[in-house]
Amino acid sequence: MAPAAVTTARARALFAPLDAGSRAETVAQRLAQAITLGLLLDGERLPAESELADQFGVSPVTLRGALATLRAMGLVQTRRGRGGGTFVCVRDEPRPAQLEGMLTLLSAHELRDIGDNRAAIAGAAARLAAERALPADISALAEHAARLGCAGSVTERRRADARLHMEIAATAQSPRLVRAEMELWSEIGDLVWLPTVSAGDVAAIEAEHAELLAAIARQRAELARALAERHVLAETERLLALRLRLARPC
Amino acid sequence: MVSRIERILSGVERIGALVASIAAAADVQGRALCREDIGPIRLLAAELLRDHPGFIAGAGAVLAPGVLADAPQWLEWWWAETPATVQRLRVDLDPASADYSDYTTTEWYRTPERSGRWSIIGPYVDYICTRQYTFTLSAPVRCAGRFIGVAGADILAARVERLALPALHAQDTDAVLVSAAGRVIASTAAAVTPGMIAPPGRVIADLGTLPWQVRELASPSGS
Repeated sequence: MAPAAVTTARARALFAPLDAGSRAETVAQRLAQAITLGLLLDGERLPAESELADQFGVSPVTLRGALATLRAMGLVQTRRGRGGGTFVCVRDEPRPAQLEGMLTLLSAHELRDIGDNRAAIAGAAARLAAERALPADISALAEHAARLGCAGSVTERRRADARLHMEIAATAQSPRLVRAEMELWSEIGDLVWLPTVSAGDVAAIEAEHAELLAAIARQRAELARALAERHVLAETERLLALRLRLARPC
Repeated sequence: MVSRIERILSGVERIGALVASIAAAADVQGRALCREDIGPIRLLAAELLRDHPGFIAGAGAVLAPGVLADAPQWLEWWWAETPATVQRLRVDLDPASADYSDYTTTEWYRTPERSGRWSIIGPYVDYICTRQYTFTLSAPVRCAGRFIGVAGADILAARVERLALPALHAQDTDAVLVSAAGRVIASTAAAVTPGMIAPPGRVIADLGTLPWQVRELASPSGS
C-alpha cells in the first residue's frame, strides 16, 4: 500500500519475519524500533507471549528474553493478574533531562560516527530520490514536510522528521536505505531535536528541508546529496556542541 | 505474468463482490453494517494468499468513511508469510493519533474511487507493511450504485520482474517493462533496473488489461 499517505499498518512492521538466526536481541530491537518510531502506542497491550512468539517465529523462552530487555529499557511494563499483560510505555514527551543523560553517555567519537553514517545514508537516499521521484512522490514529500511544520511537540516533530527521511529513502526506491534510516532514527532519533529549542532553530531546519525537497523536485541529484549531507552534519554538530556544554563544570 | 495478475485481480474482485453482497444484505434487512459483518472476507483473502504463495504479500478490503456503523474507517486486510500463518493487519485508524493511517488519501484507494475501475499502483517501497518493493492492485466496491470501499492485494515486485523477463528477452532489442507512471518494472539491460524512471523509447507493446508498456531501450551508444 502506498507509503505516500502514510497509510497502513503498525503491526505488520513488527511481525515481518526475522532473518534466519535471529535471537532475542533481534526481537527486542524490532519491538523497540516500533515503539520508538511510534508504530506502537503508549499503553497499548502487546499480544500474549505465546502469540507473539508464534508471530516472530521464536520460542517462548526467546520471546521472554526479549521482553526482559524491553522492560530493562523501560519501554514495556508487565502487569500481573486480571487485565494484566505487557504494555507499551512511552512518555509522550521524553524528559529533556533523560535525553541529556543519553547524550552524555555517548562519546564525541560515537556521535560523530553516527552522524557520518546518517549523512552517508541520507545523502545517498536524497541523490537517488532526485533521480527516481515521480510527480506523485514529490507531492507526498511536500505533505510530509508540511506535517513537520505543523508539529506542536518535540515528539511530533521527531516522528514527522523521521517519516520525512524514510519517505525520501522510499522515493529512492530502496527498501534497504529505508531500513537503514529506520535503524539510525530509532538509535539516535530522540536526540536529534534536543538541541533545537528556539523557534528560529526550528525555522532554520524547515528551511533546510525545503531546500532539499526543492533539489529533489528539480532532479538535481548531486545538489540533493550535498544538501542532505550538510543537513545531517549540522544536526550532528549541534548535538556535539550540546554534549560539550553539558560536560562543562558549572 | 499478465494472466497471473489477472487471476489475482479476479480474486480481488471476488473479495469486493463479497463485501458488496454483505452490504446489500444488511441494506435489505434494514440493518446497519458493522465491522464484524465484513469478517468473512478472511476466507477469500486466505485463499488468494494460498493460491499465490510468495507472490502476494497481503489482501483484503477497506471501507469508505461512514459505511460502517461502528467505525469511521475500517481496514480488513490479511497477510501471511507462509500460507499457514494468515493474520489480520492491525492499523491505527484513530484520527487523533500521531500514527493515524488514513488510507483514503492513498493512491490505491483514490484511484479506483475516482475512476470506478480497478488499478495497479507501484512499484514502490511499502516501508510500514511489507518492508518490500511492491505493487498494490485495487478495485472499487459498489453497493446500490454507491462507492463503499476498495478491495485489493499487495504484489511483490521481485516476482513480477521474474515473470516479465522471458517476454522481454523474446524481443529483438533490449526492452523494458514500464508502469503507467513511467517507472521501470523489468528490463533486459543491466544499466536500467526496476525502480528507475524509464528512459524514453519506442513502444513495442501495450499489455492489454494492465496499464503497462513494453518499450524498446536504445543502446547506450545511441545506435
